[in-house]
Amino acid sequence: MLINIYHIIADNWLLLLIGQFPNGPLGGIAATLLLSILGIGLAFPLSILVALARLSPWPVLSWPATALVYVMRGVPLLMIIFWVYFLLPLLIGRIVPGFLAMVCTLVVYEAAFLSEIVRAGIQALPKGQMDAARALGHSHLSAMRYIILPQALYNMIPSILSQFVSTIKETTLGYVINVPELTFAASQINNQLLTQPFEVFFVLASIYFAVCWTLTQLTNWLERRIAAKRAGRGASELLVVDGVAVIKPETVQEVRQ
Amino acid sequence: MIKFCDVNKWYGGYQALADINAEVKRGEVVVVCGPSGSGKSTLIRTVNRLEEIQSGELMFDGQNVHARMSGTQLNRLRSHIGFVFQSFNLFPHLSALDNIMLSPMKIKGVDRAKAHDKAMQLLDRVGLASKASAHPAQLSGGQQQRVAIARALAMEPPAMLFDEPTSALDPEMVGEVLAVMRSLANEGMTMMCVTHEMGFAREVADRVWFMDAGRIVEIATPDKFFGNPEHPRAKRFLSDLRTRH
Repeated sequence: MLINIYHIIADNWLLLLIGQFPNGPLGGIAATLLLSILGIGLAFPLSILVALARLSPWPVLSWPATALVYVMRGVPLLMIIFWVYFLLPLLIGRIVPGFLAMVCTLVVYEAAFLSEIVRAGIQALPKGQMDAARALGHSHLSAMRYIILPQALYNMIPSILSQFVSTIKETTLGYVINVPELTFAASQINNQLLTQPFEVFFVLASIYFAVCWTLTQLTNWLERRIAAKRAGRGASELLVVDGVAVIKPETVQEVRQ
Repeated sequence: MIKFCDVNKWYGGYQALADINAEVKRGEVVVVCGPSGSGKSTLIRTVNRLEEIQSGELMFDGQNVHARMSGTQLNRLRSHIGFVFQSFNLFPHLSALDNIMLSPMKIKGVDRAKAHDKAMQLLDRVGLASKASAHPAQLSGGQQQRVAIARALAMEPPAMLFDEPTSALDPEMVGEVLAVMRSLANEGMTMMCVTHEMGFAREVADRVWFMDAGRIVEIATPDKFFGNPEHPRAKRFLSDLRTRH
């Protein structure tokens, strides 16, 4: 079985990496990452607007934003992919390529989820920050722009990264509308080989795991760093904190004796 | 300069401020004291409309603070009232210098070079010129509060409000903050301070307002208030303070 896996990778590594590019559309893990980056990258500014709208005292803004968030949270991503892929061409009168449809879907979907992260980040800041900004004479928007958002967004970096990890996994659904990404490449390989589905999908799962696990580790590391910074320690003192963690209970026992 | 006329405030059914009638004159230093929950902080927060009032009138420098006005007008009014918080509320993502420079630049449109000079001057004045590039987390409580005072002064307000500026500080840091406040008072700044520092009140205040249960029950000069308070609640408050120290 291991030898089969080796052969699958050896024969198809380029397809898994970049799909049929440059002879065909970009695919494989490159397309998966591109989809995820575009999805999160475009959703991010949108999510800030949605979060601000949702926190706004004006119902004209807060209701549609709330509705968007609730719909996106309550409907499976697959349904939204179908809507965009089949409904959008009817509305605009042209065919929408799978890749574009998938990016649009991800942007709307992730914007809703990210906006909840942004909202939580804003609301988690001490109330005194807004009070201080208002007392100095800042308008609501100026306070958001210069005081609240810079802090909130910085604190949210780990959450945004973990949303990025979810997005990578969600791009697999692009398979149903023939978006040439990593899962699509794997299923092409499977269709060729026909007899080794376990091995093929094991390779597929391993690649996703490697990418997502790495990003999750990065997230954890960032989280620790940000927590330490928030607690008011510089980078140099971080080392000291790590040093403290090295002291094990045995050591403490020794010192006591 | 700051004038309360029949000011009332309710939180639902609970009356937080009742029939407040008092005035802080230009150049005067008023210390507001009283037991906790008596409405001192609420009172001072109504002056720049961080808290709304339900009835009465509050004049600041000839302007009715709680009149109907646009957001822009309110922001402009607030920028003329310096406010110092118990919990400092410095912006943790900015250095001490940037904390002070931000509002003059973004609100008043002062150019960077001028804002920088002014901020350095203010930092020097509160004795923290060497900490200009430090972030709030790297400063002690007393230093943070002094930066917060400098930040408020950067908007060149004609009056300063202090809401328990030393209550969140370790005892050894109280002095440095009070020293800055004392020097402000000596320069003729109009000040309204909610504080438990009775030494400061006795020494610096022109008048003391004593509050109890949402009312100002006694207004007196410090000598009179500490020597011979009239209101029984004030007597008890002062004797409690003495037994504690």
